[in-house]
Amino acid sequence: MAHYNRDSKLSEAVMANPQIIPVINRLGISLGVGDGSIGSTCVQAHVDPDFFLSVINTFLDEDYFPANPRGTFTLSKTIDYLRKTSEFYLRVQLPNIDRHFSSLLSRSGEDNNLALLRGFFDDMRQQFSDCMRYDLEVLFPALVSGNVPEDFRLSLSGHAEMEAKLHDLLYFFVVHLRGDYDSNLCMAVVSAVFSLEKDYSQNNRIRNRILLPIMEEMIGK
Amino acid sequence: MMKETRRIALIGLAALEAIGIRSIVRECSDFMVEAFGNFADFMPLADSYEAYVADSGTFVANLDFFMPRRQKTIVTGISVMSLKNSSGGPLIIGHDADEADIEVTVKKLLGSLQTGETVPGELSFREREVLRLIAAGRINKEIADELCISVNTVISHRKNISSKLGIKSASGLSLYAVMNGII
Repeated sequence: MAHYNRDSKLSEAVMANPQIIPVINRLGISLGVGDGSIGSTCVQAHVDPDFFLSVINTFLDEDYFPANPRGTFTLSKTIDYLRKTSEFYLRVQLPNIDRHFSSLLSRSGEDNNLALLRGFFDDMRQQFSDCMRYDLEVLFPALVSGNVPEDFRLSLSGHAEMEAKLHDLLYFFVVHLRGDYDSNLCMAVVSAVFSLEKDYSQNNRIRNRILLPIMEEMIGK
Repeated sequence: MMKETRRIALIGLAALEAIGIRSIVRECSDFMVEAFGNFADFMPLADSYEAYVADSGTFVANLDFFMPRRQKTIVTGISVMSLKNSSGGPLIIGHDADEADIEVTVKKLLGSLQTGETVPGELSFREREVLRLIAAGRINKEIADELCISVNTVISHRKNISSKLGIKSASGLSLYAVMNGII
């Protein structure tokens, strides 16, 4: 697929891929992006255009890999992006799913298997939050001060497991949902889970392809 | 490693009927056949069996158990001929079946068990066993010990289960098992 570059219009990129809205927000650019190019918009917002483009293109194309990853993804920029991402999940996306799910349950009666899916979500949310908090409170501060925690690989496997659980939650809604329920509210839950799943898998790509090599290099030194 | 004993349960059959089916199974397979007078005696040991032959009364009274296992089940004593043609249902031995009919039906069941044939996307008996133990929280080593198979075989079963069900996580598999009465 074609990748965006500095001359691409940011507004066109967002119109064609509205799922990148939370990503550009985390990178420091809000909606109302104007009509300028990605390069000029990034300069105005004091955002590194190469880093911006690398994240956006990685998000949209799982086979994309930046030409000069070490030059583009410095440790501080990568951690800053991942920190904002984790905070976004904890403060916005998980509560958003929770709110929609609660509404769905309250308006759908009991003649369905939503309670089982809710239990699955609640367990997953707790583990997901634990993973994010480990990154925010242990991993990222340690990396900033030049250390790699010994258990960082456990953290990576935890993220892989959360990615699988998000996929499964979505899959249960799509394939195994039974009974009567409010279809509009159900769509809101599914959309919110889909949005998080897509965002999170992209985030894990950056974690595995960029942050992990940086950490391994730090261990080697 | 010792070879596992594969078992078929006969439940609620008349004595002569049970003897006849046992004889056919022994002639053409190494399955062990065990007979139970009623479902209550059989149920505590149900997980030990790979296939079932039940009389129609037992089958109908215990649909919750037999329907998920219908493709591993023969029902005897049914007089409604149309049921013989129901797709995806259990195998049927009609009340007027002669010895040849019974032999053909039993061999059909044995053939599907020996080739491991299942409906696409449907779990095999062994995969259901592994799934039940995953849902019970067992780790691969514990599952291998309990089923007398290697850890690699357990891992292979897990991959197949995930692939067939489209479910990636252990807790997702547990939820599937709960939803489908496997535990």
